[in-house]
Amino acid sequence: MSIDCKHIRNFSIIAHIDHGKSTLADRLLERTGTVEKRQLKEQMLDDMELERQRGITIKARAVRMECRHNGELYELNLIDTPGHVDFHYEVSRSLACCEGAVLLVDAFQGVEAQTVANAYAAINQNLAIVPVINKVDLVHARVDEVLTEMEQSLSIDPTEVIKASAKTGIGIDDLLAAIVERIPPPTGDPQAVLRALIFDSHYDSYRGAITYVRLIDGTVKKGQKIRFLETGVTHEVLELGQFVPQRRACEELVAGQVGYLVCNIKDVKQVHIGDTVTIPGDHAAAAMPGYKPPQRMVYCGLYPSEGENFEELRDSLEKLAINDPSFEFAPESSEALGFGFRCGFLGLLHMEIIQQRLEQEADLDLVQTAPNVTYQILKTSGETINIRNPQDVPDTGEIEEFRQPIVRTNFLTPVEHIGPIMQLCTDRRGVYLKTEYLSPTRAMLTFDLPLAEVIYDMHDKLKSVTRGYGTMDYELVGYFPADLVRLDILVGGKKVDALSIICDRRDADRRGRAIVKKLRGEIDRHMFEVALQAAIGTKVIARETISAMRKNVTAKCYGGDISRKKKLWAKQKEGKKRMKSVGSVDIPQKAFMAVLDTGAERP
Amino acid sequence: MKTATSDIVNAATQQPPRAAYVHVPFCRHRCGYCDFSLVAGRDDLIASYLAAIERELTRLESPGLELATLYLGGGTPSHLGPDGLRRLFDILHTRLRPLPGAEVTIEANPGDVTASLATAAVACGTTRVSLGGQSLDATTLVALDRDHTPDDVRRAVDILLTRGLAVSVDLMTAAPGQTLADVDRDLDALVALGTQHLSVYCLTWEKGTQFESLSRRGMLRPADESLERSMLELTIDRLEAAGFEHYEVSNFARPGGRCQHNETYWDCQPWEAFGPGAARFDGRERITNHRSTTTWMRRVLGGEDFTGDSETMTPLEAAQERVVLGLRRRDGLRREAFLNASGFALDDVAGASIRRWIARGLATDDGQQVRLTREGLLVSDGLWAEVLRPM
Repeated sequence: MSIDCKHIRNFSIIAHIDHGKSTLADRLLERTGTVEKRQLKEQMLDDMELERQRGITIKARAVRMECRHNGELYELNLIDTPGHVDFHYEVSRSLACCEGAVLLVDAFQGVEAQTVANAYAAINQNLAIVPVINKVDLVHARVDEVLTEMEQSLSIDPTEVIKASAKTGIGIDDLLAAIVERIPPPTGDPQAVLRALIFDSHYDSYRGAITYVRLIDGTVKKGQKIRFLETGVTHEVLELGQFVPQRRACEELVAGQVGYLVCNIKDVKQVHIGDTVTIPGDHAAAAMPGYKPPQRMVYCGLYPSEGENFEELRDSLEKLAINDPSFEFAPESSEALGFGFRCGFLGLLHMEIIQQRLEQEADLDLVQTAPNVTYQILKTSGETINIRNPQDVPDTGEIEEFRQPIVRTNFLTPVEHIGPIMQLCTDRRGVYLKTEYLSPTRAMLTFDLPLAEVIYDMHDKLKSVTRGYGTMDYELVGYFPADLVRLDILVGGKKVDALSIICDRRDADRRGRAIVKKLRGEIDRHMFEVALQAAIGTKVIARETISAMRKNVTAKCYGGDISRKKKLWAKQKEGKKRMKSVGSVDIPQKAFMAVLDTGAERP
Repeated sequence: MKTATSDIVNAATQQPPRAAYVHVPFCRHRCGYCDFSLVAGRDDLIASYLAAIERELTRLESPGLELATLYLGGGTPSHLGPDGLRRLFDILHTRLRPLPGAEVTIEANPGDVTASLATAAVACGTTRVSLGGQSLDATTLVALDRDHTPDDVRRAVDILLTRGLAVSVDLMTAAPGQTLADVDRDLDALVALGTQHLSVYCLTWEKGTQFESLSRRGMLRPADESLERSMLELTIDRLEAAGFEHYEVSNFARPGGRCQHNETYWDCQPWEAFGPGAARFDGRERITNHRSTTTWMRRVLGGEDFTGDSETMTPLEAAQERVVLGLRRRDGLRREAFLNASGFALDDVAGASIRRWIARGLATDDGQQVRLTREGLLVSDGLWAEVLRPM
């Protein structure tokens, strides 16, 4: 069944979140007969429960389809990509396996921030772009304007744009034809030495690691010995095949094809995403550049709640990390929270997803500290250190330069919201770079902003100042010096290390006041007065007091009341879950997020 | 530590109850704050109720129990009227036999108390009446949705005292709109009534009551916590100065005037109970009858299971409960008595907690006796979670 490269097309669909990517994938699966209509679950490719729940794609995925064009049979490999900014890393991985990309734009929403970001990622990798306007059958579709936006922002020829509706099937045949005609076939040589790129993996409890590969050159057969260059380990191929969309075994995969390998690998850590697969021995192919390692932008502490088990948390984190190489964790300890883990994420959405999976799949009750970005400190000794936890900031005397990550941020917005976005970015110490007009009604603004100002609530604020129409995307520019300080929080006179934050010195007063005020609302009253203070070093800059509980006593407690009252008292006990006690003050989970309150009176 | 004294506990369990409670679920009107088990305006059910009580009493083998205390609560037992009361007692006496000198209490509404009711009560063996006075201020009584006047209360107390009955009056604080000065005047008026016993309750806003629903809609506002506290402190100060002992969170008595029946509960002694929603305790298990009057009646008369929730305690859980109920009393806990009654040393059950409370000024300990301070008592609900935890 060996297939000629000429008859293979490898492509991704790239789109802003919600523009209909998963629906389009479903329609392609159906139209090519890969999946029968009656078997079609909504959003076939999103098979993680969380993905369906949240309507987003988290992991890359690959599926093989067949289609006839001008009498000839073609193999189409769709490599699905996540749409959210957190998962840029996964997008680039998928694109590296493709020769082309279907660029999907919503006929009403138009070009948005991730449209631009993902399209540029594809253009930079020299992929052929097949532009599509989706949802053209909507009453509010504004096809002509969106064509202008695509032309202005991405230099796309309006005559090349396919008008489609993934929901009703309009334009799907045109799209399949365009995929075959416009996307070049892969160029590998099936006779050359085996060379394949590992672009993903997942763990199957029966088969071990399932390795996703794109063959660049050569052929791989069942029973063959192969070598992973980076890990240097040799394996035997027990099974290989393609996803249709379930695994379907075959005898061989040849240059240009996309598929999977099963090699009895029990530990997914042995499969490095971006590694090169070749033959053992002296005639092996050279390693390909592979991927940049994922960049963790956000860190937070995860701690077991009162009474939960540290070891159990470790096991669950390990299980999650197996299928998610972009997530990392390391043990740490906090005076306030005890033993837990510092965890690194691609972004805030990634963090939320991991936390949700821990609670849903592992049934763990967690205390999570507020997320922070990674900082860099150049010490007077000349050493540069990365700060992932505010506690690790050294004494001021040892700091030569305190640096924070800066991201270049693009905002796409209807022009009437330019003013409020300017204000939003200026308030957050952004540096204005430029404004480009995509059409008379839509513009793209570019700012350099501290990452810390972007990740926490920028997206929400943007949505609120643009009535939901603005979108944003960002990429790291680098680390730049700033006047940063560590702000500590004291509860009942005791410093709670897990509540410390790093912020701009000029914001410290405002942030400090906002945090202690917020904490006052989050921490229940106790039987004694609880002082809340914000301090830089030994200097207290803000203070609030939680007054003591003054009366809390059940009046009636006679025969029939006793059982009932005991239940009420026991409920108070259950309320103590998701709490940590510092001194004798019970601090609920929500309080650890209070430090995100910026104290700004923004709209 | 558990085996050596478990015989004592078993002995206590085996003892037949010497106290009984009977729930009389009838009222003319349900007050806006009340979530008790009762039916208002359903006097047509009284005959079936009496039949059901008679039937439930047959749980006890003849000749029944000899009682040191008998307590008729409600609802409103006085709502039965003189004849109804006589019929009820006739039925009760088939299985419940108060010993000479026993305390027999009935709850009464001031508006129901007449000379003939008092005569009937005395004839039935009643020694004590607990009167739902709630306030001696006309405005507060209206705010509390009560259907009697301050004069009704004075007249009722007068009638009852004249018959030689011991009288207790309930007072409600933190009523909607009530000020500290209002409570002050109420306390004066209450002391002036000359009763042996007073119970003072801070209004609570229970789910399902009319008051709670109004407050959720912003139409009634609960008093703030510091006012509630001031009212309770004022009450304690004033009543102690007037010669009352503050012997439990909500209860005040002149020397010798304590309610022996309620002390049975707080001593964790067994008791019997009959009627809808009534809870009985055999030293180990607390069983509550079905709370709905009609369901309880139907099941009792139909020979079905009429019980609702039940709670079975291990000896340790019983000991933990004993700590809570004991410390809610002015006398607190005596180490020796605690060990004898529960089979556990107090310090094994709650030693660490008690030490923390002492350090925070919430409790005192003279080596033999542990008591809460006033401060501790006022915030005591916040202490029990740590005592009641599984060990």
